[in-house]
Amino acid sequence: MRPSPRLRPTVWDGLVVLCVAALALGLAFFQWRGGTSQALTAVVSVDGTEIDRVSLDRAAGEKTYRAGDYTLTVEYAAGSARVLSSNCPTQDCVHTGSVTRGGQSVVCLPGRFILRLEGGTPDPDAVDAVLG
Amino acid sequence: MKLTTKQLTLCALLTAMALALSYLENLFPLTLAIPVPGVKLGLANIVTIFALYALGPGEALLILLARCFLGSLFAGNMNALIFSLLGGLSALGTMVLLSRRRGLSLYGVSIGGAAAHNCGQIAAALLTLGSTAPLYYLPVLLAVSLLTGGLTGLAAACLFRGLRHTDLMKG
Amino acid sequence: MKRLTVSVLLLALLLSGCGAQMSPDEAQESIQVIAMDTAMLITTYGERSPAAAYACEDTIRDLEKQLSRTLEDSDVSRLNASGGEPVEVGEDLGVLLELARYYHGSTGGAFNIAIAPVVSAWGFTEDSFRVPSQAELDGLLELVQGPSYIGPRSSGGAICYSLAPGQAIDLGGIAKGYAADKIVKVLQEHDVPRANINLGGNVLAYGDRPDGAPWRVGIQDPARADEQNAFAGVLELTDSFAVTSGGYQRYFEEGGKRYHHIIDPATGYPADSGLSSVTVVAGLGEGGGFPGTMCDAYSTALFIMGEEQALDFWRDETQWEEQGCPFELVLVTEDGRVMVTEGLADRFTLEETSGYTLEVVSR
Repeated sequence: MRPSPRLRPTVWDGLVVLCVAALALGLAFFQWRGGTSQALTAVVSVDGTEIDRVSLDRAAGEKTYRAGDYTLTVEYAAGSARVLSSNCPTQDCVHTGSVTRGGQSVVCLPGRFILRLEGGTPDPDAVDAVLG
Repeated sequence: MKLTTKQLTLCALLTAMALALSYLENLFPLTLAIPVPGVKLGLANIVTIFALYALGPGEALLILLARCFLGSLFAGNMNALIFSLLGGLSALGTMVLLSRRRGLSLYGVSIGGAAAHNCGQIAAALLTLGSTAPLYYLPVLLAVSLLTGGLTGLAAACLFRGLRHTDLMKG
Repeated sequence: MKRLTVSVLLLALLLSGCGAQMSPDEAQESIQVIAMDTAMLITTYGERSPAAAYACEDTIRDLEKQLSRTLEDSDVSRLNASGGEPVEVGEDLGVLLELARYYHGSTGGAFNIAIAPVVSAWGFTEDSFRVPSQAELDGLLELVQGPSYIGPRSSGGAICYSLAPGQAIDLGGIAKGYAADKIVKVLQEHDVPRANINLGGNVLAYGDRPDGAPWRVGIQDPARADEQNAFAGVLELTDSFAVTSGGYQRYFEEGGKRYHHIIDPATGYPADSGLSSVTVVAGLGEGGGFPGTMCDAYSTALFIMGEEQALDFWRDETQWEEQGCPFELVLVTEDGRVMVTEGLADRFTLEETSGYTLEVVSR
C-alpha cells in the first residue's frame, strides 16, 4: 500500500503557489522591461555576420573594424554612434553622421558593413522607414 | 515492473478515462474565457495524480504515454504529440518529486504539475516554431495554472476521499 | 478562512498575470541585407517572424542571382553578353521583361531598361564617372531606341529572348519593386500580421504598426540629401508600396555641373525636368498584378517626364484600368513646391521646417 495522500491544503502548498506566482511575475516583469525600455545598443555586422554589440548607456570610445578590404573607425558616445573615418571610396558611411534612435543605421556598401541601433525608448512620432 | 491483472485493468480503465476527460474539456474550451492559446483545465491531470498515488510513478508514466499517443492519433494530429508529451512528462516528473515531500497535499502537487505542464508545452512551442514568441504567454499560463491546478487538486482530493474505504486503495 | 485567503490570492495573481501579458504580435525579427547594390531592412512581426524574415532574404538573394548585371552567370548578364543569340531565361526574368515592355509603352518610352549602355557610358555602372561626348551618346542612343529585345520565343519548353548586338538591359529600376511584390507572397505564406520592408528606397508597409497606427514613411528632402531626419514630408501608410526616385541619390560633379544617374532615354543626358524627386504609392491590390514593380518603374519614368506630363499620366485613368492598380504621387519640385495627388492628401503631412509649399492636385 502506497502512502495515502494528504487531502487538505497545507502551509507547504502555499509555498508551491508562491513559487509558481513568483515565476509568473518574474517572467512578466522581465518581458515588460525587455519589450519597452531596452537599453540602446549598437549592433555591428559585416557581410551579414554580427561582429560586435556595444551598449550606448555610456560613451564607449572609438573602435576599429575590418570590413572586406576597408577599415572603419566608429565612435560610440552616450546615446549615439557614428562612423568617424573609413578608407572606402564612397564615404557614404562617414557622411551619414550620427545615429541616435533604435532602427537607425549606418551602412558602408563597399565594405558590406552595417551598424544598426536597437532598443531605446520608442517614439510614436518617429519615422518607421525613409524613402529616397 | 510486473503488473497484476487488477493493476493492468486499472491502467487500461484510467487511460480510457483520461482520454474521455481530454475530449470532455475540449467541448468546453477555457480559451473562450481566457483568450490565450494553451489555456485549459487539464482534467486528464486528475488521472495522472490518481495513478501516481494509487498505483505508482511507473504506472502513471505508462498511462500518460498511452494517453498522449492515442489522443494525438484520435485527433489525427501528430503535431500535437510533441506538445502533449513534453507537457505531460514535465508535469509527471514534477509531481513525482513533489509527492515525495510529505508536507505537501494534493493541492500543492497538482498546482506544481499544472505549472510544469505549461512550461513543457511552451518548450514544445519554442522547438516547433523556432521563435521565442510563445514565451510571452508563459506568465499568463502560469497564473492560470494556479487556478486549474487548484481545481484538479480539489477533484483528486474528492476522489480519494470517496474511495478511501474501497478495496481499490488496498493494493 | 485559510481557503478563502488562498482563493483571493489566486484571483489576484491571475489578474496581475493578465495585465502584464504581451501580445504575440510584438514578437519581431529585424534583419539587414546588402543586396542589389543597396542596404535593405526587413522587419517582420508575429510568431513566425524569424522564418518569414529569412524567407524574404532568400527571395531577394535568389532574384539577385538571376537579375544582377554584375554577377557573370546571371540570366541578365548572359543575355547582355549573348551578342544577338537567343538566351534561355528563368521565369522571373521572363515576367520582368514583359512588364518592362508594358511600362515602356505606357510611359511613352520614358521607362526603358535598354538604356543600360548609356548609363554605363556615364560611368554609373562602375563608379568611374565621366561626361561622354555627344557623338558617343548619339551612337548609343540608336541602340536604345532601335528594336528592343525580341521574345519570348519558346524552344523546347524553354522561354528565350534575344538582344541585338551591343544592346544591354539593366533591371535596376524595376528589380527591387518586383522583389517587394514577391515578398508580399512570402509574408502571406508565413501568416505575418505586419511588416516593414525597406529595399533601399522601395518601401513595403505591410499591415499596420504594432500600436495600431499606420506606418510612418518619411520622404527624404532632396535639398538636404545628406541629412538624416530631413524630410519633405511624412506619409502614413498601411498595406502599401511606396517608391521614390530622385536625382540627388547618385550623382557626380564635373566642371561645376552636377550629373545624376537617372538618364532620359530621349536625350541620353541626366533628366532635367524641374523635379527633384517623385514618389509613387500604390495599395497591395487583390493579389495578382505587380503594384510594387509598377511603383518602381513609374517613379523613374515620371521623374524623367516632369511635373506636367507626370500629372497628366496620373489623371489618365486608362492607365489604371489596364494595370488594375491605381497609384498616387508626391512630387517635389526644384523650385520648392510639394505636390500631392488628392488620394494621398489626408495621408501626407508636410514637414514644417522644410520650407516647401504644399499643393494638392485633383483629377
